[in-house]
Amino acid sequence: MEANTEIKNAKVRIEHIEDVLSSVAAGDLDIRIESEIEDDLTGVEQAINLLIDDLTHELKKSIKMKEDMEDKLRKIQDQQKTILQQQEDLMELSSPVSKVWDNILILPVIGTLDSQRTQIMMENLLLKIVSTGCTTAILDITGVPTVDTQVANHLLKTVTAARLLGAECIVSGISPAIAQTIVHLGINLSNILTKATLQSAMIYAMKKNEQLVDGKVKTNFTDIDDIQL
Amino acid sequence: MNEIVSDKSWILLERCPIQNEHDIVKARQVVRQFGKEAGMGIVDQTRITTAVSELFRNMFLYAGGGEVLVEKGIVDERNTLIVTCIDQGPGIANIELAMTDGYTSGGGMGYGLPGSKRLVDRFEIYSQVNKGTTIRVMKWK
Ligand SMILES: Nc1ncnc2c1ncn2[C@@H]1O[C@H](COP(=O)(O)OP(=O)(O)OP(=O)(O)O)[C@@H](O)[C@H]1O
Ligand SMILES: [Mg+2]
Repeated sequence: MEANTEIKNAKVRIEHIEDVLSSVAAGDLDIRIESEIEDDLTGVEQAINLLIDDLTHELKKSIKMKEDMEDKLRKIQDQQKTILQQQEDLMELSSPVSKVWDNILILPVIGTLDSQRTQIMMENLLLKIVSTGCTTAILDITGVPTVDTQVANHLLKTVTAARLLGAECIVSGISPAIAQTIVHLGINLSNILTKATLQSAMIYAMKKNEQLVDGKVKTNFTDIDDIQL
Repeated sequence: MNEIVSDKSWILLERCPIQNEHDIVKARQVVRQFGKEAGMGIVDQTRITTAVSELFRNMFLYAGGGEVLVEKGIVDERNTLIVTCIDQGPGIANIELAMTDGYTSGGGMGYGLPGSKRLVDRFEIYSQVNKGTTIRVMKWK
């Protein structure tokens, strides 16, 4: 007991503690206090060593966490890139023009018609009209959620351009809600031939081409690319 | 500059920046969703969505973008969806002209503003040349 009450080399050892602490503060976590003598100060020295151990552990954990987060961030960024890429792909994909029947092209429009997509869509359709020589094209807008003045304008332009190439366009798939909205907007679509559904547009087109007579499909034509109906 | 006064009791549902075409699509979906949540039928949803689509597009085209506030609140004792479009663009010198059917300064159809007004229950417009334009539309539930 008696020995414990007196602390040997107190000044030197406290200075050492101070040195170690300032090293730790400076970022050196490998350093520890070496205690050669067992007395009251040893407890403090060991406590400080434990503290440095804990600190090291915590630091490692937070470094690991930071790395994990960075990793996750990179993954999210990658995913985002993929999504953007897919969106662009989809843009091309979702304006597929197909010749579904002799002389009849169908362009199902899905999603939002921004100016970029409309451009692609219009070009695709016009090219296909020229390459197939079809004289009827159905633009089905069932999949377009909002028809505003810009979409209407694009539709009008597409129909007009197709007409210049000798093809008649039918716009189908205008829902009752969209029909009412177009009326309120005040846009005049009376220059465009419209049908409520893709089916009625198809029937109209086939009748016009005399491919459907008295409810019977005439089968004396060939060249069916792919049938989607 | 905002001369269109808001009511403090309204609840802000969402704030959408309009900087590009993608933002227009997103903001439009937000408005449709809140319309649906407010209990609007498909026709009213379509109307308010189309009306704001015109305003968002105008902001993007003529003012280089802006900000949209979607709020809900009680107006004239009715549950109301309130959409406010704020831009710091060139402003509209002649509002009456801009609101005329068929008037366009560019290559549009000139039905955006007057059409939008016909599609909603309330339409307010405030604009100052070289400062910007604020347009607010409301749809009752
Ligand atoms: N936020 C705005 N800032 C400045 N000018 C605007 C703004 N919104 C509309 N305008 C002006 O008002 C005119 C009329 O707008 P409106 O939306 O009715 O027609 P548009 O955009 O020209 O054509 P549409 O909308 O039919 O495609 C625009 O041509 C434009 O000059
Ligand atoms: Mg417009």
